Amino acid sequence: MTGFLLLALLAQNFEQRGFIENQTLFYPQAAPNDSAHAVDQAAIRWEASYKLAPWLKLSGSLDARADTHRQVNREPQLNLDDRTAQRPALSLRELNATIHKGKVTAEFGRQIIRWGKTDILTPTDRFAPKDYLSSVVDSDFLAVPAARITIAGASDSLDAIWQPRFAPSRTPLLDERWTALPPELNGAAIVDVGARYPGRSQFGLRWNHIAPRYEYSLSYFDGFNNLPLFDASFDPATVTARAQRFYPSMRMFGADAAIPLPWVTVKGEAGYFTSTTPGEQDYVLYVIQVERQVREWSLVGGYAGEAITGGAANPLSFTPDRGFAKSFVGHATLTIDVNRSLTVETAVRSAGSFVRFEYSRAFGEHWRVTPGIAWIRGGMTDFLGQYHRNSYASLAVRYSF
Amino acid sequence: MSKLIAPCLMAATFAAPFAAAQNPRQIMEEVQRRQRSESQHYEGTLEVIGHGSRIATKRWVFDRIGAFGNSKGMLRFTVPAEVKGVGLLIVNHPDRASDQWLWRPNIGREQRIALQDRSTRFFGTDFSFEDLEERDVAQFDYKLLGDEKDTWKLQSTPRKSSQYTYGYLWVKKDHYTIVKVESYNKKGLVRVIDYRDFELAKGIWTARTIEVADVTRNSRTILKYDKLEYNLPMKDGDFTLDALRRGP
Repeated sequence: MTGFLLLALLAQNFEQRGFIENQTLFYPQAAPNDSAHAVDQAAIRWEASYKLAPWLKLSGSLDARADTHRQVNREPQLNLDDRTAQRPALSLRELNATIHKGKVTAEFGRQIIRWGKTDILTPTDRFAPKDYLSSVVDSDFLAVPAARITIAGASDSLDAIWQPRFAPSRTPLLDERWTALPPELNGAAIVDVGARYPGRSQFGLRWNHIAPRYEYSLSYFDGFNNLPLFDASFDPATVTARAQRFYPSMRMFGADAAIPLPWVTVKGEAGYFTSTTPGEQDYVLYVIQVERQVREWSLVGGYAGEAITGGAANPLSFTPDRGFAKSFVGHATLTIDVNRSLTVETAVRSAGSFVRFEYSRAFGEHWRVTPGIAWIRGGMTDFLGQYHRNSYASLAVRYSF
Repeated sequence: MSKLIAPCLMAATFAAPFAAAQNPRQIMEEVQRRQRSESQHYEGTLEVIGHGSRIATKRWVFDRIGAFGNSKGMLRFTVPAEVKGVGLLIVNHPDRASDQWLWRPNIGREQRIALQDRSTRFFGTDFSFEDLEERDVAQFDYKLLGDEKDTWKLQSTPRKSSQYTYGYLWVKKDHYTIVKVESYNKKGLVRVIDYRDFELAKGIWTARTIEVADVTRNSRTILKYDKLEYNLPMKDGDFTLDALRRGP
């Protein structure tokens, strides 16, 4: 009896959820470095949290993955490294402790940290590396090892983050279709010789103010870009190109704001980025967007822009965040009913465009099926256009528990 | 009409004759007085019924601190699994519409719900975001339209920004509980809310079942209350944006 009571008490403080998902991507066209027309990937995620005391909570999540395309490493061991080129088969996605006392919340450990207010492109979101392995236009966030202290008052909050160990975004594998190689390298063997990682920590501050008619934030980040530049060399004798990733220093001064007006909500976000790393530019990345709900439609539309303030463009870089700049971006969701929705997402640039349709339907309390189509157009000189062979259809089936 | 959903769950035990009952404002002030509590907690089960058949079941946990125009509410979905953890923070004000923020764990950021978007349905239910507010009676003008059986029928007109232009309320004369609300916009009837299964909880007459019908969509949602508690000790710090992100 005592055991049951103890279990009941423990269960009161325990929360869990998760999903099992299978997603298949169908590519009608082959890419020069990837002849596959179908990629299947499966994932199991389990998230759990336990409240040890009213002021202390432990949270964690585990991922198990498999795929047909070797984007997932096949070693069946728990991987704690967040720097692997492939996704681990088993990984500790998050593990952190949250301590809350009065106006102060402290979170320690591997955690997902999001900043900013805008959608599609979020310039100030600097502690949020992404996983671009399966798709550059539909990526997932990765956790970072960090300490985060938040002091929150009624209308102001201050967020301080220290990340002792750098965590990069996961970039597409060089021998797969989401790495778009220049035509000059057709026929060459491409060798990934790994990465050089920064040795020092990263730090950021964000102050957020909420007023009755608006809210805004100011932010500062001192660390490294989680997206790489490449050191490349070419050996004509063996027709081999060797590429090594490295991560330029980055300092960001950012701001974001949301202003609900009578007809639309206006959101803006901008970051000024500087770097001391040779080959990296100084630039401003900004987004201005309007939002509106019209009956069952949720509509977001805006412009993402970029202004170069120093340095020359580096062709040996992977910069999907800047790649979406100089674009008109839009996102619309129609909630058909409590179980069905339709989403359209688009980015249109002068020399390239991307549009994705997704229809999602829930069956009962656990199942959801999401078919979709993504269409990418443009030329090789454009960030989106270089992926014009990667238009795809997708089918995801998810069981949530 | 939003103030009429949550607080009407609360009404006082004793229905002593009310001297000025024929004054509509005094009727509503008495409704509010009898429903007043320092905090509220419940677990709600929602059944969404579209075109005559049940299409979804959801559960949420709701906590409120304060009362009416000086209250804050935190709502978190617990079922189904795919929306578990989704939260809504509502900060009510005495003199204007509430501030609301939505938290979705899969996005990892809070989203402010703009005033003009409050007529949107809340996560596929037939509640709109505005229906989850708790406004003070001072934010409405009232007109007594007459007696219907054992109820007063009143017309309410919001003084502040609202998706509704006016509404009709039916208030039971014995316990001063609201039993029905019809809400109208410029085009006509939008929502009908019925309050049923009243029980006395901590001295407050409370409807354990609320049925919201969205007339324009021919859809309805039935909300049933479990584990209802009033005047539990709660902390103001658990009703902030940081708390919304932090989770339960």
